[in-house]
Amino acid sequence: MSERISRDDLRKRAGEWIAAGKTVAGPVQVKPGMVLYAPLASPEALQLDGWIRPTNSIKEFVFPRHEALYAYRIDGAGITLDDLPAEMPEQIIIGAHPCDAAALPILDKLFNWDPRDDFFNRRREATTVITVACTAHDEQCFCTSVGLSPAAERGSDVLLVDAGDGDYEVRCLTEKGSALFGAAVDSVVHDDSSPAAAEIDAGPKRRFDPEAVAVFAKEHFEDPFWREHALGCVGCGACAYTCPVCHCFDIVDEGNPRGGERARNWDACQFALFTLHSSGHNPRPAQGARQRQRIYHKFFMYPEKFGETLCTGCGNCARNCPVGLGVLPLVSEICHAESV
Amino acid sequence: MSGTNQFEPKIVAFVCNWCTYLGADLAGTARLEYPVNVRIIRLPCTGRIDTNLVVKAFEIGADAVLVSGCHPGDCHYSAGNYHARRRWMLFRELLDVVGFETRRLHFTWISAAEGRKFQQVIAEITDETRALGPYLPYETQAAAAPPNGTALHPNAPGQDFAGASQELRATARRLLEEDKVKVVIGHGASGPVFITRPEDSDRLEWNENSLANLTVYLKRPEVRALGAAAVVVKGCDERALVVLEQESQFRREDLQVIGVACEGLGQPKCEACDTHQPRFADHTISSAAAQNAAPSDGRYAELERFLEKPREERLAYWTAEFDRCLKCYACRQICPMCYCERCLADKNRPQAIDTSSHRKGNFAWHLSRAIHLAGRCVGCDECTRACPAGIDLRLLNLALARAAETQFGYRAGMDPAVEPVVGAYSLQDKEEFIR
Amino acid sequence: MQNPYKPDLMEVIGVRQHTVDVKSVRLRFQDAERAKEFDFRVGQFGIFSAFGWGESTFNICSSSTWHDHIEFCFRKVGRVTDALWEAGEGDTLGFRGPYGNGYPMEQWRGKDLIFLGGGIAMPPIRCAIWYALENRADYGDITIVYGARAVGDLVYADELDQWAARPRVRVVRCVDPGGETPDWKGEIGFVPTVFERAQVAAGNAVALVIGPPIMIKNTIPVLERLGAKMSNVYTSLENRMKCGIGKCGRCNAGPVYVCKEGPVFTFENLRDMPMDY
Repeated sequence: MSERISRDDLRKRAGEWIAAGKTVAGPVQVKPGMVLYAPLASPEALQLDGWIRPTNSIKEFVFPRHEALYAYRIDGAGITLDDLPAEMPEQIIIGAHPCDAAALPILDKLFNWDPRDDFFNRRREATTVITVACTAHDEQCFCTSVGLSPAAERGSDVLLVDAGDGDYEVRCLTEKGSALFGAAVDSVVHDDSSPAAAEIDAGPKRRFDPEAVAVFAKEHFEDPFWREHALGCVGCGACAYTCPVCHCFDIVDEGNPRGGERARNWDACQFALFTLHSSGHNPRPAQGARQRQRIYHKFFMYPEKFGETLCTGCGNCARNCPVGLGVLPLVSEICHAESV
Repeated sequence: MSGTNQFEPKIVAFVCNWCTYLGADLAGTARLEYPVNVRIIRLPCTGRIDTNLVVKAFEIGADAVLVSGCHPGDCHYSAGNYHARRRWMLFRELLDVVGFETRRLHFTWISAAEGRKFQQVIAEITDETRALGPYLPYETQAAAAPPNGTALHPNAPGQDFAGASQELRATARRLLEEDKVKVVIGHGASGPVFITRPEDSDRLEWNENSLANLTVYLKRPEVRALGAAAVVVKGCDERALVVLEQESQFRREDLQVIGVACEGLGQPKCEACDTHQPRFADHTISSAAAQNAAPSDGRYAELERFLEKPREERLAYWTAEFDRCLKCYACRQICPMCYCERCLADKNRPQAIDTSSHRKGNFAWHLSRAIHLAGRCVGCDECTRACPAGIDLRLLNLALARAAETQFGYRAGMDPAVEPVVGAYSLQDKEEFIR
Repeated sequence: MQNPYKPDLMEVIGVRQHTVDVKSVRLRFQDAERAKEFDFRVGQFGIFSAFGWGESTFNICSSSTWHDHIEFCFRKVGRVTDALWEAGEGDTLGFRGPYGNGYPMEQWRGKDLIFLGGGIAMPPIRCAIWYALENRADYGDITIVYGARAVGDLVYADELDQWAARPRVRVVRCVDPGGETPDWKGEIGFVPTVFERAQVAAGNAVALVIGPPIMIKNTIPVLERLGAKMSNVYTSLENRMKCGIGKCGRCNAGPVYVCKEGPVFTFENLRDMPMDY
């Protein structure tokens, strides 16, 4: 038995969820040529086709760019700390990619490494991820090198597979996913007659072995390789901020003498000031060390601690890097260096 | 206090210590009553008033802002107010393009003897602002809906990329073999390359992907450490060298410039380009088809079309644009002119620009970035290309480029002999907006 | 919902200025229940808030045997420490902690203790010294060598006298050449040199060495010559921190998060860690 849904019906469902007050997000064309995951104002804004993947990732729905942690008030009586409302409105993401969805269980490990971070947890609990299996890839994609694939199910609550005839085959993977689609019996077509002519991209060839990268990062920590290959890096945060799994953050106080909020903001190891000590000492004073840190964290440190590679092979870093760097280009250089 | 709910505007006045502050003081001692709506902030000189102070005043609750100082010619520091006036001329145009209500921003010259004028100005501003109503903070501003349409990028016309690449490689090889330079900064297959050995010159490419403005690497300490450099520039990139040299960021004799004549690489900036041929290169990879025409009349067409929109629509547009800003600072890092060792956005005593990605933080950042590049931005559009959120920085840069050209006849990076527009002033600078 | 980022509110009950730019602040929990249940290990650190300005990471430099207060010591160098500098008795600050691994004081029982510190590194050593003195019978001979660039840079200088007066405690204080005052009675020289001169027996010792990298680099060979094993020589690393709880990704030195798996390490650990701190 296969369950199917047409694109029109999917949009209709999205419209119902929006009308019910849920936050529904998905790929939206924000300007000609640029598609980003963003909240949908209307179901028509949902862009299901015509692009490889959005320029950003879905992490901002569970780990926002700016998130208040608590508020503080300063008055004659002293200082009071106020918790902010804990309820999270329900979120549904339609049209995530497997490389975005897989990020969530990967991040889960860090955010629940004692102590638990309930800011992340409550957002994740409130989010249902409807992933669409990929029907195409480009030269920057490398999900198959990090244990994923165009129809990988990790992190998804529902997987929609293009059936080739305008419909999607619906695979509910979790209770949350079933709850969302199970209720919509009238719009899910049960079609027992035709087998699922699923159109799933074969995916990119496997380009490298993450283990080998981990070993290189560990054993070549001081190698001039890093300095040479980071020369082009201008030290912005485009890679980290568009990456589905990069999660470094800063904590800031914002307010006035009467009060304000303490919040966390995204931060990136590529910035020169990221590790600067107040004494003036900087353990990573040059870009080579900072580029090394990115690869080291993703391929050696995170796997060692949590058993996961901190990379889903989405290729956003390389696509968004204004100078053509990124994980795949750098790792390709590592493999080249190792084989020479 | 009256029992009514009438809105009472909050006016913030940034005034200079030597003239307007004393003028306000005089109003006080002469018992000339002026509305209590004003909060006076004293600074040494109008030349010291940073534009982000004005922005911040509105962010934190001001309904109108007055900036006031000594009359031209009377500045306690000789020329502070002349610099300020020029800055304000550019800043007002930026605010106008962004859709800001420029009616809420006032400029005056009030001397220490003009207590009555101070009284009158404050009373007028208070009345005007009361009628305008409260300043609406960013959070209340609606963001424009995404525009429809497809991206239109004219294809790069057929150029002899192969021939140019050959010539480029040969030039680089020769420079390295003769030890004239230690590194050639050029374009490779997928991004910038740093060639330090003659035999690696074959990695150099020249094609429709050679979009980067490589002059950005002159500010990178890791690249400077490699030694004397040669940099490959298109005519648009080369304008950045003119500005950087004017600003003493490098010495011309220490740099080999390899100019590549370009017929356009299919970018929006290419349509109105008048610097197809590099003008100051040590070595030119030339193309006869690439000629430097006169500046195109259409160079501000995009901006002029945008300015036809009503103010509220402009603000809604920029709200939607800045809402997407991640604060990744790709725009800053990729800009050759953003070379400050410690950017204002990275300073926290005081925190002039919130680092957070919210409206206040994003507007403050983009307004500051734009005004800091006023008269310096050469329109290479690298910031626009680098932005992973697709923010229309090109339009913002055009706003200030047009301001510099219409007000001062100045285009950054064109003529090394012309005095830059910021950092200089003229006694004849227009001041019809200053009362 | 548990909020690991939310600090406890603390009342300032004492402020002491040690040098032109170093102060220590004594705090007690505003919430009496929290005060009763709070405990920590010496060597752990806290993240202290000046609300409206930000947070900063400092070692908890008081002994864990004192239950009526905690103390931290800081140099005024930036936005947050400028604000902390202004704190006076009765003011409210924030505290998150205790974080980190702390010193393994139980494992050090029965050993001689050697404390070597330079300048602003005294506070993280102070807590261990007081702990040892409060549990005197558990530890052997105690040697403290503490130095600074100049006399005016010595921190907790008066406590050095208190410690020297205790049984089987030897205190050697020193300043860099040129840093002495006319009435200076201590040694003149760098900590590693002065320490070597002191000819301390290190065979049954555990050493805690905290100071600038150059001091540490030059102290290791001396310790080795005196018979210490690197697995018995400890230090407390500092690295730029924000969350203190292993989330923000800032403080890793190679594969370890200094905030969770440190900041206390042995020199044997450090040998296996890349220079990322």
